Amino acid sequence: MPNLSPIAGVGLGHYLILAAIIFCIGIIGVLLRKNIIVIMMSVELMLNAVNLTFVSLGHFNGSAAGQISVFFIMTIAAAEAAVGLALVVLIFKKYGEVSIKLFERLKG
Amino acid sequence: MLSAYDLVFYFLAVFALFSAFGVVTSASPIYSAFFLVLTMMDIACLFVMLGAFFIAGVQLIVYAGAVVVLFVMVLMLFNLHQETEAFSKGTLSGMAKLGATGLLCGILATTLFNFASRAKSMAADISPEESTEKLAKLLFSDYVFGFEAISILILVVAVGAVALSQLKGGSHAKS
Repeated sequence: MPNLSPIAGVGLGHYLILAAIIFCIGIIGVLLRKNIIVIMMSVELMLNAVNLTFVSLGHFNGSAAGQISVFFIMTIAAAEAAVGLALVVLIFKKYGEVSIKLFERLKG
Repeated sequence: MLSAYDLVFYFLAVFALFSAFGVVTSASPIYSAFFLVLTMMDIACLFVMLGAFFIAGVQLIVYAGAVVVLFVMVLMLFNLHQETEAFSKGTLSGMAKLGATGLLCGILATTLFNFASRAKSMAADISPEESTEKLAKLLFSDYVFGFEAISILILVVAVGAVALSQLKGGSHAKS
């Protein structure tokens, strides 16, 4: 077991557990909110938690490969936000509301 | 004894949890966006503490700058000041969701706990120039294929966003 007492100093375990908790808060947001924009913000929160995991693992293993993954994740997250928000604008123009339940009408 | 590094980490951790909680629980989406900026900045500070200086800068510019501004601009397009039902209905299903997330959090925490105990930690003290140079060398040698693939992805996404906005009912629809 890693020593998580405050006397031992902050290590890898602290960062990983912080990232896990932020990830779970993001999941709660995705599951419980109705507004699509807030759901997308929660997804960004989850992606950020994963980035934190990558960077901390890379740092404590003395490798820069974790930061490369973060680089790619950031690019893809920005692309995802652009396409997702374009869809949200379409939904709002059509129904005048940005609730997640309106996505079921997008078929066809 | 707590070192300055530990104190800064605990402060940033508590602040990150507080602002992440704010993103999820704010009834108004604009406050969610505000808390999201705070979370991004906090995580950028954690990146600096981990020696990832370039990533911290990119986090501030791309995430806290571009992505969140995109969110806020889309929010300003809509008239959303009356959000009566921020959370989805159903107390029972809400409890089930919270319980499932709690279980997942527990699984993640125990897995990470065991993993972190086995991982050897050898945090090297590297300067900003050194870490950025290492990153650039890796990106343009071993990972250059992924780099080029990302550029194609961005092209596809740009075309896709334009195509979506020209659909019937989009913001640039051909009438």
